[in-house]
Amino acid sequence: MSVVTNNSNEKQRKGVTMCNRIFFYIFFILFSLTATSGLFCAPFVQAGGLQQKIAAESVIEQIIHRGTLRVGMDIFVPWAMKNKKGELIGLEIDVARRLAEDMGVKVQFVPTRWSGIIPALIADKFDVIIGGMSVTPKRNLKINFTRPYYYSSQGLLANIKMTRGFTLKDFNRPGVTLAARLGSTAALAAKKNFPLAKLRLFDDEPSAVQEVRNGRVHAMVGSQPLPAQMAADNPGLLKAYPEQLLKEPICFGVRKGDVDALNFFNNWIEIQHSRGWVRQRYAYWFESTAWKKEM
Amino acid sequence: MIGHRNQKNTRLDLILLALIFSALAYLGYRVTMQLQYTWHWSVIPQYLFRYDEQQQRWVANYLVLGLLTTLRLSIYAGIPALLIGLCMALARTSNSLFLQMTGRTYIELLRNLPPLVIIFLVYFFLADQLTPLLGLDELVMHISPQAAHMLAVFVAPPASLSAFLSAVLTMAVFEGAYIAEILRGGIEAVAGGQWEAAHALGLTRGQTLRHIILPQTFRQVLPPLAGQFISLIKDSSIVSVISIQELTYQGTQLMASTYMTIEVWLVVALLYFLLTFPCSLLLGRLEQSYAEKPF
Repeated sequence: MSVVTNNSNEKQRKGVTMCNRIFFYIFFILFSLTATSGLFCAPFVQAGGLQQKIAAESVIEQIIHRGTLRVGMDIFVPWAMKNKKGELIGLEIDVARRLAEDMGVKVQFVPTRWSGIIPALIADKFDVIIGGMSVTPKRNLKINFTRPYYYSSQGLLANIKMTRGFTLKDFNRPGVTLAARLGSTAALAAKKNFPLAKLRLFDDEPSAVQEVRNGRVHAMVGSQPLPAQMAADNPGLLKAYPEQLLKEPICFGVRKGDVDALNFFNNWIEIQHSRGWVRQRYAYWFESTAWKKEM
Repeated sequence: MIGHRNQKNTRLDLILLALIFSALAYLGYRVTMQLQYTWHWSVIPQYLFRYDEQQQRWVANYLVLGLLTTLRLSIYAGIPALLIGLCMALARTSNSLFLQMTGRTYIELLRNLPPLVIIFLVYFFLADQLTPLLGLDELVMHISPQAAHMLAVFVAPPASLSAFLSAVLTMAVFEGAYIAEILRGGIEAVAGGQWEAAHALGLTRGQTLRHIILPQTFRQVLPPLAGQFISLIKDSSIVSVISIQELTYQGTQLMASTYMTIEVWLVVALLYFLLTFPCSLLLGRLEQSYAEKPF
């Protein structure tokens, strides 16, 4: 008798745990579904409201109201870099400081990884990208760009030992490996100019330069004047090619749907152009090496 | 007890030691001789501390500032992680099916996602929904300079507060899941007789947990819990992807500015070690004092 009851008890218990397990799976799936759908829907729901909000108050208004201009940038020598005191210096830093001064607000730099800088702008982590960003159609589909304030070009920095007797054409061969920074125009220039070569991408430029020094890649593509300055610092090891690979306009990046901000930034750029201020700062950072004392 | 072990070095030990040293020496030779790298160790100390001429005293520079941010991040994430972990472990071991399901869903969901993915999800989707809800930006804008200074010393500069909080939140939530599993293991390891005895004495569930079960649990789980806390300090480096200015991020910035790849990462590694090794020693001592104390 007792054996039988024990047995049926066990069966019952098994039934209960089975039931629990099924309940758990249903619970788990339902929970995950609500959580993810919430995540995905939230931005879309917000987007409708956001557009109206932007139309009503432009980012310019927000900057004035807040009293600070938030600028998204990343470290690129000599566009933006840290000096001995840990302060930011560079061409883009000068531009952003001047812009904030002219607007009568304080400037706040938001250092952001270059590969994630466009999503961060869209997610409102800062107001504007002033970081030597060049316009590409792909980027322009995601964000708006102002008119250019200067032009940049890409250069090739090669390991002398590995590329003896190479002309620019020789780099476009299978078996040649190139390096560039992930998400940068340099990567695009490398693909465009040397489609046959193998391209390796790095999160920052020093890693790419180090690969060239170590001879693990033949050359790297980077924005001028970096290749020229690196070659000057390492004669006998590195060589820069004088050819300009991809000349591109450099602009501020702003979120879409904000006409007022575009208008303001465009006119500010136009004013600085006509005063020759941008040209003068460009000469200081790109054509002289006087700033190296500060490093 | 340990004295019973043979503490003498045998000849084999010496040979092995010699082999290890020669391998290290060879590696050192390769690094210094064959790596195409110019060492600049002399520049590193100024990035730890610098003499501020305006204030006439030594101040921390950005590697040390990064270390302090890492420390703050670990402490502020560690405390809520322990609380979340405890609540979820209790939910997981409770008698209510609903609580069990909630606990299990939380733990399974977070333990089975890479922390990097969780961080991106929170930073790009959730943080934008949460900060306006709390009115944090408005609040920070209107606080007094003294309060802002206090905030910068103890938490984060007002400008980067919302990013810092979203990092703390993410870390607390995902470390909480691991801690919950550790605590659950500890609670379940306490013999069932303890529960029954407490029940027989007429203690409520809360009393049983507080006076009988949890004290034993904490003794049991101290080593894995300590390990988890040390790994929390190390894991804090992954929030560098959302540009929190902690040690790893400061390292990448400094490297991008100065092109001193190897020196910077060696110093960063040393600083992490200086932070975690004393923690290991301290926790080892705590464990020992617990082991010596009778129940």
